[in-house]
Amino acid sequence: MVNYFAVGEPIPRVDAVEKVTGRAIYGNDLFFANMLYGKALRSPYAHAKIVNIDVTKAQRLPGVKAIVTGKDNPGLGGEALKDYPFLAVDKVRYVGEPVAAVAAVDEETAEEALDVIAVEYEQLPAVLDPLTAMKPDAPLIHEALHTYQHIPVIKPIEHTNICHHVQFLKGDMDQGFAESDVIFEDTFTTQMVHHGAIELHMAVAQVDPAGKITVWVTNDGPHRLRNDLAAVLKMPLSKIRVVSPPYMGGGFGGKGGLKVETLCIALALRSDERPVKMVLTREEVMTSSIVRHPSVVTLKTGVKKDGRLWVREARVVYDTGAYAEKGPTVCQQGSVAAAGPYKLKHVKVDGYCVYTNKAIAGAYRGYGIPQVAWAHESQMDIIAHELGIDPVKIRVMNAVEEGDISPTGQQVLHSVGLKECISRAAEHLGWEKKPDQKNRGRGIACGFKNTKTPSGSSAVVKVSQDGSVEILTSSIEAGQGPKTVLAQMAAEELGVPLDRITMVSPDTDVTPYDASTTSSRTTFHMGNAVKKAARDARDQLFAIAAPMLNVETGELRVEKGEIYVKNKPELRHSFAEVIKHQYGAGLDIIGRSSFYPVVQRETGGMWSAPSIFWMFGAHCVEVEVDPETGQVKVLKAIGAHDVGKVINPITCEGQIEGGLVHGIGPALYEEMLIGPKGEVQNTSLLDYKICRVLDVPEITPLIVEATHRDGPYGAKGIGEMTVVPTASAVANAIYDAIGVRIKDLPITPERILNALREKELNK
Amino acid sequence: MQKIINVIVNGEFYEVSVKSNMTLLDFLRDKLGLTGTKGGCETGACGACTVLLEGKPVNSCLVFAVEAHGKDILTVEGLAENGQLHPLQEAFVSEGAVQCGYCTPGMLLSAKALLDGNPNPTETEVKEAIAGNLCRCTGYVKIVKAILVAAEKMRRRN
Amino acid sequence: MLRKIKGFTYLKPFTVSEAISLLDEYNGKAKILAGGTDLLIQMKQRTQNPEYVIDIKNIPELGNITYDENEGLSIGPLATYTALASSPVVREKFGLLADAAFAVGSPQIQNRGTVAGNLCNASPSADTAPALIALNAQLKLVSMKGERIVSVEEFFVGPFKTILKDTEILAEILIPNVPLHSGGSYLWLPKIITAVDETLVGVGALITVDDMKNKICTEARIGLGSVAPTPIRAKKAGESLKGKRIENGLFEQAGVIASTEALPRSRAEYRSEMIKVFVKRALNRALERIR
Repeated sequence: MVNYFAVGEPIPRVDAVEKVTGRAIYGNDLFFANMLYGKALRSPYAHAKIVNIDVTKAQRLPGVKAIVTGKDNPGLGGEALKDYPFLAVDKVRYVGEPVAAVAAVDEETAEEALDVIAVEYEQLPAVLDPLTAMKPDAPLIHEALHTYQHIPVIKPIEHTNICHHVQFLKGDMDQGFAESDVIFEDTFTTQMVHHGAIELHMAVAQVDPAGKITVWVTNDGPHRLRNDLAAVLKMPLSKIRVVSPPYMGGGFGGKGGLKVETLCIALALRSDERPVKMVLTREEVMTSSIVRHPSVVTLKTGVKKDGRLWVREARVVYDTGAYAEKGPTVCQQGSVAAAGPYKLKHVKVDGYCVYTNKAIAGAYRGYGIPQVAWAHESQMDIIAHELGIDPVKIRVMNAVEEGDISPTGQQVLHSVGLKECISRAAEHLGWEKKPDQKNRGRGIACGFKNTKTPSGSSAVVKVSQDGSVEILTSSIEAGQGPKTVLAQMAAEELGVPLDRITMVSPDTDVTPYDASTTSSRTTFHMGNAVKKAARDARDQLFAIAAPMLNVETGELRVEKGEIYVKNKPELRHSFAEVIKHQYGAGLDIIGRSSFYPVVQRETGGMWSAPSIFWMFGAHCVEVEVDPETGQVKVLKAIGAHDVGKVINPITCEGQIEGGLVHGIGPALYEEMLIGPKGEVQNTSLLDYKICRVLDVPEITPLIVEATHRDGPYGAKGIGEMTVVPTASAVANAIYDAIGVRIKDLPITPERILNALREKELNK
Repeated sequence: MQKIINVIVNGEFYEVSVKSNMTLLDFLRDKLGLTGTKGGCETGACGACTVLLEGKPVNSCLVFAVEAHGKDILTVEGLAENGQLHPLQEAFVSEGAVQCGYCTPGMLLSAKALLDGNPNPTETEVKEAIAGNLCRCTGYVKIVKAILVAAEKMRRRN
Repeated sequence: MLRKIKGFTYLKPFTVSEAISLLDEYNGKAKILAGGTDLLIQMKQRTQNPEYVIDIKNIPELGNITYDENEGLSIGPLATYTALASSPVVREKFGLLADAAFAVGSPQIQNRGTVAGNLCNASPSADTAPALIALNAQLKLVSMKGERIVSVEEFFVGPFKTILKDTEILAEILIPNVPLHSGGSYLWLPKIITAVDETLVGVGALITVDDMKNKICTEARIGLGSVAPTPIRAKKAGESLKGKRIENGLFEQAGVIASTEALPRSRAEYRSEMIKVFVKRALNRALERIR
């Protein structure tokens, strides 16, 4: 057992004081001299040809400095599949798509300019339902799909609305079903939901006299954004600078990709080097940022009488809306987990990512997996009840373990704490002792979540002449705590107190490459990079210190910003003394590291499925249902999560608590309502219901540690996994309470009452 | 139309000319540079812009700056006194009640108003007091705890 | 779409007569600003674009909540939800109104918004309206031409429409004393569970019995919110209880009758069902509160 002084400790967040005093700077707090304000004119139609855009009146308005339309579009962007224009070109594909943008001296003027831009549309038939959109005769949303560039693993089906079809196969399906005792087939659906970060999306863009573009933006992948922009604008990476404001006010995947930043850049390119700021309104965030993919998941599962899952066939349809965004990789990552975290002999998954004329779906905490978990965990309960096996026991019986082949067959699993998560969550709720009260019930659900692999992170650890430390990474602090956790790791390696460490905010001119702060990858990937960079810096200090202390470097240790000899602790020098000894006139010690883990895979290609780590977790909830109103109240919720090794229990618990509640919303309340014309109808936080404090049950976070051999100190990720099993745990508890099974999200009071009525009729 | 207003913000007197259609939120952020107060929804739904107006929490996005003439306003920047964090701020730090931090200023002010009037609130009273403040990160658990911890600390102090 | 608010002239009268003379002068171009919790949103949505905004918050007497044993309760147009919900006399004698004030929005909204504003905005889901209907409240409307007194239910003419003229101000809400042996309640079904949420169905109920032993209903008044283009009185449901001994099934039946009096639009089937449930529950709660 290794003793750590910083790692694993419940250290208060390094950014907390800034945040409680109002000093923390977020994107919208940035103001620049001579700044212009941008506003976008958006499509009222779900699908229409743009016949003409007349901007002449707007151009004449005093104070208007730049106007852009689709004819100024520099090219098509997108991470996995390049289909996304900066502004709509020739046609619009969803209500809320930008067709023109204006930069003016103030927001009022920009808004007035939008009023006088005349756009002539010719409406086209819109496709709103993904299953309809998959039919051969459906109107095409992207006629040129076959010409779009994409990464190799993405497989669009030409001349259809299917922008990605992925298949996984393990074993023999016919044999599997023939060998099964009972076969279950169910279809489950999930709704469109929104990230609901309280901070609005924003960007400021400026072009300097040499043509270099700088964009200050709340984007969760500054380097990824730079890559995307450089590709579209056909510019060298070094001529684009992406700066992250110190803090992001919540992201959850909703602040990646190309959205407000592209409009802002398009305007900045025509604004005579003046900075252009754009802040989306809440309504724009709801209609025109991104959403979580609605889905239709059909599971056909063969089981043995004793409860062993034997064979599973999954068909997963992700509705990605008007543009692919991260849809294809969401489909990829979600489909690979569609069979659930279970030992299965035979598995086949077909995942489809389908265009519709609706709001664009993209990354959202869980990345396609909450949708499939809703299906496999609901069906697991159906199977358990049908076979008369306890829902906890059937999960433990089937749960994957260390060394198992992953359910879809890509890899051998390592660091698997699933069984412990299930049993600890159940035990904590007192699963064996059922609630006495009427209309109360309990449910359990579990799941697993991968991380995008391979992906790289670099870090620089700079020790200044006084021995204080700066850590340069491109990891975004969006509330999940990387500034704290990475600082803890550096502190551990360097033996420096946390208050001597400064985390430098991402700036692509300054901080090195990182794939993105997504996919629950930062603790693992950037953690490794920071840990190794800190060691690199420490080793350089040791090399100087060893002759000073007349010992070999191997005998040196660090603590409290000093280097000492292991067996003679009184022999010591501060970092400052060591640096001064070698570089009297002054120099920094620069430690660096890059981390790019790969996994042995049986199928080829980028993000083709194997994951460097898998997170596991289980949720148990207790609910009370009012059978007269159909209302559900979640009374207790327990989340047990395997994080490999906890770096900071406070932030880790915060992730579990927050994730549990973030899962209750989409289970019971949240749904973006789409009108007949394809428009989002509930565009304000008055109408789109995210959980308030009064909706929150008694919550218990439980941390399970199945150490990962490649993780820093054994750590994995946590953030996304915490939302994965909630909805099905709630649905399973409702079944336990009142005996009705809801297969469509959200679980509205109407759905409950209808199901109760149906149950009455079938009696 | 411009109006001159006199306000006391965080104990400081300001005399400022504002447009009548400017909200208190924009006034605090754009005119006074007090960007600790955050905007989130513009419709009074999220509570991020909560400030204390004459000691009571209000959504500053739903108040005109001109309405604040002659009034006393407290924003998050005014919570700490003489460099000493308010017990609520201390508790938010120590209990881990902060994640992204965007809702934090509003939460703190709703909580401050509660404790000013009710030094010994129940958990339910705490929840009711912050029911108008949305948080998407924390699940509220540690926020509620921090407010109770701060209340106890303040009671012990007095 | 939410926009920056259009420019306007801000006016700050110090007396009611000054306020109504401004309304008269700017006939149709002015809006009264009290709490602003609805008006500012409408101005951002550009559904209201007044050239003049008349802030009445500097007219001190308009904020009063006063009680007179003979006349009953008087509520000034500046009385906030918080003031109402925390007023001892309102809580003691008109408890259902305190409940309804608590049902509106968040603490921030309750601190700023006013009951009069809630009525003038005329949202079909206004929480205080069903309670005021059950309390037989009357509204005093004042203009340069004089004053008139109307009942709450006749005040509303449609969603976000009232009989209030552009030149008139809602100057006072008058609530007569409730009869002896009465109990009242306001129950609401939020769109989700949260108390601060918009109301899907709101029921204000007041029930009076001859005496506590007999429990013959002598009067029953039921106000419904959010289930018709305006808040309404469920007259037939109320009448159905009169003269009856209160026993099992009676309130349930009143709920069924009330649901036939409503005209919900969205989520109609569910709302109809919920009227039945909430009328029954509100009457039961009212009965428990009889003193």
